[in-house]
Amino acid sequence: MLKNITLGQYFPGDSFIHRLDPRTKLLATVALIAIVFVAQGFSGFLLIAAFVVACAVSTGIHLKFLIRGLKPIMLIIIFTFFLNLFFQTGGNELVHIGFLRITDQGLRTAAFMATRLILLVVCSQLLTLTTSPIALTDGLESLFRPLEAIHFPAHEIAMMMSIALRFIPTLMDEADKIMKAQKARGANFETGSLVQRAKAMVPLLVPLFVGAFRRAEDLALAMDARCYRGGAGRTRMKQLKFGKNDLLAGLAILLLLAAVIGLNAIKAF
Amino acid sequence: MPIEVKHLTHVYMPGTPFEAKALSEVSLSIRDGEFVGIIGHTGSGKSTLITHLNGLEHSEPGVVFVNGVDLGEKDTDLIAIRRVVGLVFQYPEYQLFEETVAKDVAFGPTNLGLDAGEISERVQTALKQVGLDPASVSEKSPFELSGGQKRRVAIAGVLAMRPSILILDEPAAGLDPSGRRDMFDLIRGIHASGVTVVMVSHSMDDVGRLCDRLFVLNRGEIAYSGTPAEVFVHESKLHAIGLDVPECAKLARRLRDAGFDMPEGIYRTEDVCAAIMDNLTQKGDAKC
Repeated sequence: MLKNITLGQYFPGDSFIHRLDPRTKLLATVALIAIVFVAQGFSGFLLIAAFVVACAVSTGIHLKFLIRGLKPIMLIIIFTFFLNLFFQTGGNELVHIGFLRITDQGLRTAAFMATRLILLVVCSQLLTLTTSPIALTDGLESLFRPLEAIHFPAHEIAMMMSIALRFIPTLMDEADKIMKAQKARGANFETGSLVQRAKAMVPLLVPLFVGAFRRAEDLALAMDARCYRGGAGRTRMKQLKFGKNDLLAGLAILLLLAAVIGLNAIKAF
Repeated sequence: MPIEVKHLTHVYMPGTPFEAKALSEVSLSIRDGEFVGIIGHTGSGKSTLITHLNGLEHSEPGVVFVNGVDLGEKDTDLIAIRRVVGLVFQYPEYQLFEETVAKDVAFGPTNLGLDAGEISERVQTALKQVGLDPASVSEKSPFELSGGQKRRVAIAGVLAMRPSILILDEPAAGLDPSGRRDMFDLIRGIHASGVTVVMVSHSMDDVGRLCDRLFVLNRGEIAYSGTPAEVFVHESKLHAIGLDVPECAKLARRLRDAGFDMPEGIYRTEDVCAAIMDNLTQKGDAKC
């Protein structure tokens, strides 16, 4: 049961994209998402899709992992598609079933919105698949650093995120152990009504929470013992550095943006 | 044959980069009333093996029989198996969850669908069995108890299901010397009451003292099996796989190497003491 939960789906590798600075990847992803919104036609989407697929192929990650990531939001995509399909009223009528009318413009908008959603998800997938969660939090901390001038707790948030990420596998492991222990005492987690199943979670959740608090106390003590006092004056072992590759990646993104704007302009004429 | 394992192989996360073989071709059998020890280095597959013995895990290929019932069959009643095979995990005190000790011990029997009278009778007996006074601890919160007491409550929770086979994973882990002694006395008492006991450990001293038969696991395979004396003969090989022999067996071997007349295969403190005494008195006789 617990095997189905995959958090932080980092896929180790050593490709051009894997080696990029996490800040570059974060900014590039934000830029890519913006470009998806800039694009106003399918030709633009085609270009973006080609770019994303090329990136994915270069990382050596199988495309099925990208597609698998779409599963959780498939429902939203389908819902959006049909909502747009049935309630977009402009344009020429294609089909008429009862009170539902499907127009060519509706079909176009529906396909457009669905494609946009898929592209958005795939872009962010590419980021999480190629960046380890720790690198990701490092990158976020570094990017939010300037906001500390307005008392935004960048270091603290990044530290909390890395601690949370660090403990997800531990807690999952512990949940698995407790579940087995309770099953050995005849507990049943799999069958029964919804209420029964919710009740069956108590023997799992209570020990899990007790354990989490115990771990949190231990960790706080251990950090204290090593003189942790927040981010002020703290240096790091792995310094983030922009390199030539990051410049190349930035240029590629800018080129894509220019191309998409160009395509929009051609359409406008 | 209460427990019979044939060619059991278990692979973690097959088909991913994290694939790892935890058990390979493990076959063993445990007889009624035995006290069996399973020893191995960390990661040798001990814990994976015992979760197969009451059907918590199931692997292909391989078969596990408990009292002649194949745990891999689709229609096997696993709840019934878990009532026969009690499993006490490592650090069992972390599984306590109820408001009171009595309710926590009653969790297993309640899952078995027993009536209230039978349950409270079992709770009382189980608490007494682990050396706790039912009158004083029953209504306490398990979280108020000391570490050693919590572990006893957790073991009582398994005993209350009245298993005929009890499996314990490192029951003495993290206990102080007197706590360890009490724990082993407790387990010996459970075994004496007619329960087949399987104890997992990495301490040769503990299993050597308690068990009739040992299985040594190394990298998911059974490296050695037999009586403690038969296993401890392989001292240097056991050392190579990160295990040790009891201190007394080591002493006996070193004395033998130094030319003393020490019998082969002794490992119990009493036996080694007796052999040393024999040597001393023989020498004394020679002098006279």
